[in-house]
Amino acid sequence: MAFNILVADDSETMRAVIKKTVSMSGVPVGEFHEAGNGKEALAILEGTWIDVILSDINMPEMGGMELLKKISEDEDLRKIPLIFITTESSDARQEEARKLGVAGYVKKPFQPETIKAILYEVLEKAYEHRLKEKPDDGAGDESDF
Amino acid sequence: MDEDLRRVIFETFSEVFETMFFTFLEPLEEAPGKEALGCGRFIEATISYSGGCNGNFLFYFPWDLGKNITVNFLGVDEDGVQDSQIKDTAAETANMAIGSLLGKLDPGGKASLAIPQPRELADFSPETLLGAAGLCMFNTEFGILWVVGTHA
Repeated sequence: MAFNILVADDSETMRAVIKKTVSMSGVPVGEFHEAGNGKEALAILEGTWIDVILSDINMPEMGGMELLKKISEDEDLRKIPLIFITTESSDARQEEARKLGVAGYVKKPFQPETIKAILYEVLEKAYEHRLKEKPDDGAGDESDF
Repeated sequence: MDEDLRRVIFETFSEVFETMFFTFLEPLEEAPGKEALGCGRFIEATISYSGGCNGNFLFYFPWDLGKNITVNFLGVDEDGVQDSQIKDTAAETANMAIGSLLGKLDPGGKASLAIPQPRELADFSPETLLGAAGLCMFNTEFGILWVVGTHA
């Protein structure tokens, strides 16, 4: 029943803070994967099962908006919900993200409760049956999907 | 820099420092005396934006302040913090502070933020900043945060 989470942010310390926040939120985490930009995130997505992506927008080489666009164009990857955790909070930027199919939007600076609430909301919408599973029922592997 | 912009900067930066680092900022209206400048090891973080509006901000963190906010950010002991993490946190602070500021100054979202760049200054004297246009000073428990910014 645990979720594999990809954290994409060019700041190593921010990735650590996000991982810590998610770990303390009570969301069952299988593995954390980390990427420093959109390109690295795509490389991880090619070879690893990921259930949800938490991504910054402002990153070198490939930013979060381009990452979201690439994911939305891929038949398999588009099923993975992506939540932006970003300083870029203008209405125009959020609208652009919505059009590309973003699942959630968290503005930096953030309260841990905000990440928890949006993460649960997104996971419930995408994987409702998995959140209801009990830890000892043998579920949670890739065959669920 | 006009007073309205200074007020927005203070409110925005305070929100970032209090929310993410549990650190309080107190704006300084006048430069401190020479003995209170706090010369020595600093971290400089630079960030700019361009598009609908243009701006450039330089943050100067006394090393102790950089270390303290990193400790609070990561929730680790002082001994567990590496220099690279302190520089990274300074860059991320500039990113969050100016990203938030831009959200208020340019709600239409036409301007884009550049990637923040941090660097260590082994022996820096903030005296060189005195008199700079767009200088803002914030007192903290761990020294003065110096910010020099332009926005147009």
